[in-house]
Amino acid sequence: MADPDLDFQTGESGASATYPMQCSALRKNGYVVLKGRPCKIVEMSTSKTGKHGHAKVNLVGIDIFTNKKYEDMCPSTHNMDVPSIKRIDYQLVNINENYMSLMSDNGDIREDLRVPDNEVGKEIESKFEAGEEFMVSLVSGSYLNEFSYILYLSAPT
Amino acid sequence: FYHRALNPLILSLKKAPPSMVSTEQRQHAEHVFLSFRKSKSPFAICKHILETSKVDYVLFQAATAIMEAVVREWILLEKTSIESLRAFLLTYVLQRPNLQKYVREQILLAVAVIVKRGSLDKSINCKSILLEVGQLISSLSPTVPPVLYALLTYSLYCSLTHEDGLRQIFMMTMEVLQEFSRRENLNAQMSSVFQRYLALANHVLSWNFLVVLLPLLLFLLLFMLLLALTGGDSLGRHYIAMFEATQNVTLKPTESWREALLDTRVMDLFFTVHRKIREDSDMAQDSLQCLAQLASMHGPVFPDENAQISYLAHLMEGLLSMINGIEIEDSEAVGISNIISNLITMFPRSILTALPSDLFTSFINCLTLLTCSFGRSAALEEVLDKDDMVYMEAYDKLLESWLTLVQDEEHFPRGCFVQPAIQVFNSYIQCHLAAPDGTRNLSVNGISSHDEEEINELQEDDRELFSDQLSSIGMLGRVAADHCIPLLTSLLEDRVTRLHGQLQRTQQHLMASSDLGSVDRKVLDDLYEDIHWLILVSGYLLADDPQGETPLIPSEVMEFSIKHSTEVDINTTLQILGSPGEKASSIPGCNRTDSVIRLLSAVLRTSEVESRATRANLTELLSPQMGKDIVWFLRRWAKTYLLVDEKLYGQISIPLSTAFGADTEGAQWIVGYLLEKVINNLTVWSSEAELAYDTVELLVTLVEKRERANIVVQCESWWNLAKQFASRSPPLHLLSSSVQRTLMKALVLGGFAQMDSDAKQQYWAEVLHPLQQRFLNLINQENFAQISQEEAVKQEIVATLEALCGIAEATQIDNVASLFSFLMDFLSSCIGLMEVYSNTPETINLIIEVFVEVAHKQICYLGETKSMKLYEACLTLLQVYSKNNQSRKRSDATAEEDQYQDLLLIMELLTNLLSKEFIDFSDTDDVFRNQDQGTPASNRTVSAADVVLYGVNIVLPLMSQDLLKFPSLCNQYYKLITFICEIFPEKIPQLPEDLFKSLMFSLELGMTSMSSEISQLCLEALSPLAEQCAKNQEKDSPLFIATRHFLKLVFDMLVLQKHNTEMTVAAGEALYTLVCLHQAEYSELVETLLSSQRDAIIYQRLADAFNKLTASSTPPTMDRKQKVAFLKSLEEFVANVGGLLCVK
Repeated sequence: MADPDLDFQTGESGASATYPMQCSALRKNGYVVLKGRPCKIVEMSTSKTGKHGHAKVNLVGIDIFTNKKYEDMCPSTHNMDVPSIKRIDYQLVNINENYMSLMSDNGDIREDLRVPDNEVGKEIESKFEAGEEFMVSLVSGSYLNEFSYILYLSAPT
Repeated sequence: FYHRALNPLILSLKKAPPSMVSTEQRQHAEHVFLSFRKSKSPFAICKHILETSKVDYVLFQAATAIMEAVVREWILLEKTSIESLRAFLLTYVLQRPNLQKYVREQILLAVAVIVKRGSLDKSINCKSILLEVGQLISSLSPTVPPVLYALLTYSLYCSLTHEDGLRQIFMMTMEVLQEFSRRENLNAQMSSVFQRYLALANHVLSWNFLVVLLPLLLFLLLFMLLLALTGGDSLGRHYIAMFEATQNVTLKPTESWREALLDTRVMDLFFTVHRKIREDSDMAQDSLQCLAQLASMHGPVFPDENAQISYLAHLMEGLLSMINGIEIEDSEAVGISNIISNLITMFPRSILTALPSDLFTSFINCLTLLTCSFGRSAALEEVLDKDDMVYMEAYDKLLESWLTLVQDEEHFPRGCFVQPAIQVFNSYIQCHLAAPDGTRNLSVNGISSHDEEEINELQEDDRELFSDQLSSIGMLGRVAADHCIPLLTSLLEDRVTRLHGQLQRTQQHLMASSDLGSVDRKVLDDLYEDIHWLILVSGYLLADDPQGETPLIPSEVMEFSIKHSTEVDINTTLQILGSPGEKASSIPGCNRTDSVIRLLSAVLRTSEVESRATRANLTELLSPQMGKDIVWFLRRWAKTYLLVDEKLYGQISIPLSTAFGADTEGAQWIVGYLLEKVINNLTVWSSEAELAYDTVELLVTLVEKRERANIVVQCESWWNLAKQFASRSPPLHLLSSSVQRTLMKALVLGGFAQMDSDAKQQYWAEVLHPLQQRFLNLINQENFAQISQEEAVKQEIVATLEALCGIAEATQIDNVASLFSFLMDFLSSCIGLMEVYSNTPETINLIIEVFVEVAHKQICYLGETKSMKLYEACLTLLQVYSKNNQSRKRSDATAEEDQYQDLLLIMELLTNLLSKEFIDFSDTDDVFRNQDQGTPASNRTVSAADVVLYGVNIVLPLMSQDLLKFPSLCNQYYKLITFICEIFPEKIPQLPEDLFKSLMFSLELGMTSMSSEISQLCLEALSPLAEQCAKNQEKDSPLFIATRHFLKLVFDMLVLQKHNTEMTVAAGEALYTLVCLHQAEYSELVETLLSSQRDAIIYQRLADAFNKLTASSTPPTMDRKQKVAFLKSLEEFVANVGGLLCVK
């Protein structure tokens, strides 16, 4: 396996599934765990209670797997969990009985992923049939023994 | 035809109740009326309808038709028939007092429009109108029907074009007011009439005598008054607001008003009237506004100074007896403060000082009491959270007046403002301190309210929100420095001691229970709020914050310090200054210290208590707001006092120069202390973005001036900070990106301080080289492409890019040479990153932002060879951006504006590059002389025009019409393309065909379907293009053909379409250059237009108008004088022809 962290067969999250970060250091477009779900931060604002209160951070995030929206508020000094998110780009070499052959930049091939049953999957198939050259990006994260991945397409580099 | 069509309609409408009329019938009726209104010369039939019909709606339509037709056919109509039409309408209204309001209003509007149009060519005879109205007024009975009032306003309107008439109206109004004011009891009806006269008088006095002929204002005034007839509905109020926005004028009547206005009875009358009606808040506003206008009177109406003095004296006496005799109503506060503010602003100081001194003193005393009282009421309004803050507005006005008075202090008797200043200052402090010393948050019954509301990040800080008030209070504090500086010091020292004690007690409490929730924050919050206001007032008192120039120690503060310097023990003063950890009162001899330094010491003591609390892990108990106040004060103070330059002052205080002068231990100690404070704050307060930002701004202040920076770089902690930041180790990496950026800026600025060359080399090795090294190590890793998307790597890259922006921001003329070279090395690597991060828009934006900043801060200093390097880099950036964009998918339908940030940044970059054509400080690479032997200019490879046009090539295809709906994108885009047309018109013909076409399409779109601002920009771009064509003489070039198309567009716009009058000038200039270029086509356009006219009269009038238009400029040449003449005749042309061509 090219990357041990990306072992989808076992789905063990291990200790490095998340790491803590001070709330104020989070950034829009970064990742955070909201209500137990790994999310991409789409909105961040601050407020305080009373003129002499301390800042609180209001966060809105989109679950990276389910696209559900989550909101949370937290004192800006507190630490929040940030999920470990990985992204790897692959070139699609072949599709065999609904399983993709993906080649990473250093030439490793993996064939353990199905073409997903969604819009992206359809696009992958049609582009592949048309012989277009494109990359498949794999974003994965694991949290609370749950693992998942999303795929999206990008231009060839 | 219409008669026949309308009659059955009218009949059916009359019979059927509205609910019975079907939609179809209504649509049909509307259609008939609509085409009826467009028909030619409907005057006779309209008159007939008005005289015979009983249906209000039909009457309304007839009036509308008259109004529209008369404007449309103005130049076709005989003046006498217009006159008789006007007379008809007026008599019609007068004879029918029972007309529906909306019908009456519409008819009067028609009259108003006729008069307005008439005022353009002076065809209305004001005298005769006045006469008519005068007769009506002489028969005035106490029960004036409202319609007479309308007449009055109407005649007022007419007379406005005629100043004599205005005065007559004024005199008549005065008589009526006099009559009313004599009556004991007014019934409701009479009082309503009375109110209208009062409003009328107000409008006369508010009239700006200089703009009397401005038709727009006239029209607004009339329309507003007409609407007032209907009882001032919301539409009316809307117009009133519009009117008031344009009318905030002072009274400057001509000499002919002397007799009328200098008559003391006039002013007395207004005071009497006000006393009578002051309980009615609407009327009181009018009468007070009249008085405020009288208080602003100036100009030739006064024959000499004596007249002015006695006028002002009379006004003041009236005002004082009015104020002293009453308890002021809420609704009077603003009006009264306007009167005072006007008279203080408008009357020369010599007149004020020439007043009898008793009178002046009572005026100042009265003003003092009033200010304090309004201040207290304003504080109450805040506690009650009222929507309408009338006392706050009035208080602001009065404080502003104090500022005006005190700034001219030298004209007045010495010290005459000291006591008043003390009172106003004390009352301000009192209102802002908690009980028992103050009254903050106390409502009327003495109960204090304390609620914790949610405050979002958009709310402005008090120091900005109340900056006007604070400036005035600070200024008054300087005037009474003897009282105010020691007062602030003792209050602040007291609060800090209490804060210290309270924190200690809380700490003990926590040791026992360790539950933060059990801490009562009320006591702490009250102390924080007290300290907050005390520090703000101290900051505004001790120093100004002028933008751009070096702030000076205020002369009052300097004098105060000098005056007491003989009683001061400098050593004790320095001891207290240097011991912020100690209570000042615990130091022996603390009564003999310099008060100015002692006030700073009190703030430093606050700062020290705060810092120690953070070290004791009590940060959660502290107030970030107070933290902001402290660094804000220290920054403002440091700019003015630190390393005070004796050369800038005539006299210098020894304590101040001993404590803060150059080469003093005091100054070194303070720099060190401030630096420690900054470092502590950045460590402790990383979670409070605003506080961290204020802190890092203090750091910038310390290093942006070379002299201060020289001391800063001698401090070890500075070097530690630099190392810590460069290694990106905690806690500095927790700071928000804008703070990190500014921190980098400060670190770079510090690097240009005086150091020996070893130290300097070492410094850069500590600060900039790690940045470069880490960056290069990272991107040169073999597997960079693979790891590039890892969060940690991304963060490192983002941090580097932020730092680069910070470095660019640190650019100054004397460091641009080295910074430019340093940044240039990065720029090419950044371009490489564009590929790697093509899927992370936020990183792409940041990369472009680096280029934007470099161009923004440096291009104006760069000589030819350096500029070219930058152009080349930008060009490569654009090429990569363009390549990546071709495959980039943008989700269009739901896209938000910020998804197009990259486009906006690219356009900003291009505009910045173009700005070199306007602002250029470079002197053939002068600043680079030592390192640059220079490539000869002939080798020039890339020019600004190339880069910009290439960029436009990328941007243009992406700027869809949908994107232009985003205002920021639209403005930046049109700014850019207009710039290009103006700066490089010669490049436009060389553009590739597609690009050229879309550029021309953009211009057309901008001209025809965007806001008037954009449309104006596009029109301005046309002249340089046409001039370019004239130079080239190529008759079949695409640009030549395009300009021909624009000729038609601009022609249609001016002649056939309704357009904004503001645009007539821009469109006229464009039209003129285009006409010069395409004379034959222009004649053709005119011919075509004329030949389409079947009516011989219209044909002739049009032909005449066109002849007149070009008469002064035949043959048209691109000559300024001719152009001006053309523009002048164009105005007349547009007025005459505009409506004519819209006739069906």
